[in-house]
Amino acid sequence: MQRREFIRSAGSLSGGLVLAIHTSARGITVHKPGSPTPDALAPETSGAGILGDFIRINPNGDVLYQFVKHEMGQGVSTAMAQILAEELCADWEKVKIMFPAADMKRYQNDKNGGHDTGGSCTIIYQWDLLRNAGAAARQMLIAAAAKQWNAPADKCYAENGFVLLKGSAKKLSFGDLAHAASLEPVPAIVKPKEPDQYQLIGKPKTNKLIPRIVTGELQYSLDVKVPGMFYALVARCPVFKGKLKSFDATEAMKVAGARKVFSTKPIAGLQLNAPYMPYDIREGVAVVADSFWAAKQMQAKLVIEWDEGVNGHLSSEDFEKMAWKRATHRTDPTGYTGDENAVSDLQHIRKTLRASYVYPQQLHSCMEPLNCTAHAGESDCEIWIGSQAPHLIDSEIRRVFGFAEGKIRINLFPSGGGFGRRYYPDMALEAAFISKGAGNVPVKMVWTREDDHQCNLGHLFQHMEYQAALDKDNNLYAWYEKEIRTYTWAAKYIDPKLPSMAYDIPNVRYDFEDMIDEELVHSSAWRGVDGHGRFYGECFIDEIAAALKKDPLEFRLSMLKGGRDVFIGDPEPVHGSRILGVLQLAAEKAKWGEKLQPGQGKGIAVCPYGNNYCAVIADVTMEDQKLTVNKITIAVDCGRVINPSGAENQLIGGIVWSLTALYYGGLPIKNGRAVQTNFHENKLLRMYECPPMQVHFVTTKEDKPGGVGEISSPLGVPAVLNAIYAASGKRIRKIPLALYDITSG
Amino acid sequence: MGALPRQLFIPMAKIRIQINSRVYETDVDPGMPLLWVIRDFAGLTGTKYGCGIGQCGACTVHLDGHAVRSCSIPVSAVQNQIVTTIEGLSSDGTHPLQIAWQQEDVPQCGYCQAGQIMNAAALLMQNPQPSDADITMGMSGNLCRCGTYQRIHQAIKKASLATK
Repeated sequence: MQRREFIRSAGSLSGGLVLAIHTSARGITVHKPGSPTPDALAPETSGAGILGDFIRINPNGDVLYQFVKHEMGQGVSTAMAQILAEELCADWEKVKIMFPAADMKRYQNDKNGGHDTGGSCTIIYQWDLLRNAGAAARQMLIAAAAKQWNAPADKCYAENGFVLLKGSAKKLSFGDLAHAASLEPVPAIVKPKEPDQYQLIGKPKTNKLIPRIVTGELQYSLDVKVPGMFYALVARCPVFKGKLKSFDATEAMKVAGARKVFSTKPIAGLQLNAPYMPYDIREGVAVVADSFWAAKQMQAKLVIEWDEGVNGHLSSEDFEKMAWKRATHRTDPTGYTGDENAVSDLQHIRKTLRASYVYPQQLHSCMEPLNCTAHAGESDCEIWIGSQAPHLIDSEIRRVFGFAEGKIRINLFPSGGGFGRRYYPDMALEAAFISKGAGNVPVKMVWTREDDHQCNLGHLFQHMEYQAALDKDNNLYAWYEKEIRTYTWAAKYIDPKLPSMAYDIPNVRYDFEDMIDEELVHSSAWRGVDGHGRFYGECFIDEIAAALKKDPLEFRLSMLKGGRDVFIGDPEPVHGSRILGVLQLAAEKAKWGEKLQPGQGKGIAVCPYGNNYCAVIADVTMEDQKLTVNKITIAVDCGRVINPSGAENQLIGGIVWSLTALYYGGLPIKNGRAVQTNFHENKLLRMYECPPMQVHFVTTKEDKPGGVGEISSPLGVPAVLNAIYAASGKRIRKIPLALYDITSG
Repeated sequence: MGALPRQLFIPMAKIRIQINSRVYETDVDPGMPLLWVIRDFAGLTGTKYGCGIGQCGACTVHLDGHAVRSCSIPVSAVQNQIVTTIEGLSSDGTHPLQIAWQQEDVPQCGYCQAGQIMNAAALLMQNPQPSDADITMGMSGNLCRCGTYQRIHQAIKKASLATK
């Protein structure tokens, strides 16, 4: 998985304990009481206390964790708060999560970790940073208490929101010490706790936001109300790369509450210069009204003529045919080990297996529809949004509108799902443009679900072409894999790489070709990104096992003997020993090898993701065309688990994600237009078809935590497809199952 | 359910509607879905917009205690029934479902959860001790993209046992 593109500067991360505190933009900085703070906080936070980049402590003892990454349901704000509170020795009940506005100077740098959120990286990046920040603040609180007691600091210790003096009954609360502690110098050296002292890290803690969620109090950006705000929708071209020819707003302007109608052409187009993440804004017509409902009526009443452009007559079938052509055409290898032509070397090979797998484009379907509120001025702009990458919003708005640095204020909110879609700055650009066009007034721009389904960025397309060659002893001699994909972070791979597996195959070759220019919907990052198509390799391993009449688990184990490390071109090799660990745990918990009922079958899929490992075993029953998933067993090795409850949520959620794609997914296009308009056509998994799932964590020696936001999401598809084969002999190489009249429940 | 048929010139109507413990009076298009009256006019944003066609359940509120999809009901159709939103489910977050949701660590992004809870609350009002199948059937109209179904199920079970 190309997570290295998300890792902007792993090498320069403040990993050293001393460095994290000793540099200018630190995990904790100190403001004098009364000095202006960079963001407007609620009244309760304006009292004197320790002010820092991540921690504020009020006189009443509340510890306000300034969460500057994006909370989109991964529960990472809670897990990060646990790390911070652990080192701080805070009272967990007094820890609250705040979402401050973006601050490019303060946070968007490697020393403070950045605002951007993606690639399952947050926990990895923030681990050292937050431990150091918490430990530094703790030392400052202790120093303040020691001063008050006239006692040596090494006789004082912090616990549960208090500083205590050993051998006495003296104690002072963090709230009482906050002001004095803020006057202490930030320590040059900090000493984080030893793991055997952990009280919070590693414990299941319920999500801190729940009290606000279950009462409807938690604000998402769709809930924002700014005084004087208008509402806008955009009628976007239904065909990617199409153009706006003309529009008639006469009827639209007759809607009660209608304000203005204008074209969004000036900001539209494929933004290929956006660093790393090229995005698209479709040409369209914006309507502005004084209510969402009026805007929706206006949108429906626009009469628009489109020039549908190059994609207007094309369908998904046409695109997939183009991909087939590319797939079966040999190119130069992108990466290989051994002999790059081994799969054709008749001196060694005796039998060849081939298979083609297709993972169609998908919709993100975030439950909170895309939206952004913007108030543009002559030379500045204020934004309200839930965003995985505020720095891209900042730089893109400045580029497009010519604003100076520091002139964009971005108010950040947790979102109703990001899944990669909310990394892109397009909706902020649309909203800012509309705000300007409406007369520099605040405008909330909302995407309806129909807009979301029909005029959006999609997940990337992958066609995987596999070929395996067996030698005269029926050993797997060569593995050839070609990936055709619509999305890359750059136009072509720069670096060689191999498939993400640790199987002991003497000759492995990986080819890659992009089809960015031919895509019918602009591709973007979706939870799990390129892992989805690439872990079809787990299905092909099963095909080889079947050809050799070997049990899929035994076959994998036989090729992982010794658990070797395999360098595949990423900074971290694939650790075969850790693949073995999750495979064996999953197999044990799923009771692999037990006697099965008629029609029952089990399937495995295992993968590395970053420096984490996951194995999924699906237990299914096939009765004619009816599939029942009896159980899903998930085993994961993600290093130190910060919050087992939150991690379990992510792993189970990832399987629901993949089962949706498996049963119903896709983004079918006909005549350039998306066929599915809303959830009645583009189905998501529902409770009645959600199988029972269990998560098991491998006991690991890894000290650092790993991210689990995405890791299980590529594995549901191959695990269930393998199980379907085991149960019925049906080999399926393209999803969704709806294509084969297989029903699920 | 698609857009309602309408004339071009829509007479605004004075709408009087009780939401939770307050009565709201406002001039709106009588065809405006209840959802937008709740969110934009009463300012109660706990009830969410997810699809607009009654497919996702994020907009679920109670009309006289019955769960309805507020995106698919024109405000004019609400006569004298009391509308209850998530904000009115309890005065202090202590409805057994809200407690169970906390204990089971149910939500992920949280966006669908008000609709889930309101749907579950109506389910429990009608059927205080639902079976697993009752829960699954009753809740399958509510979508969750994050995939919290397993814990939703457990939380409803827990809440029903707590009020036994």
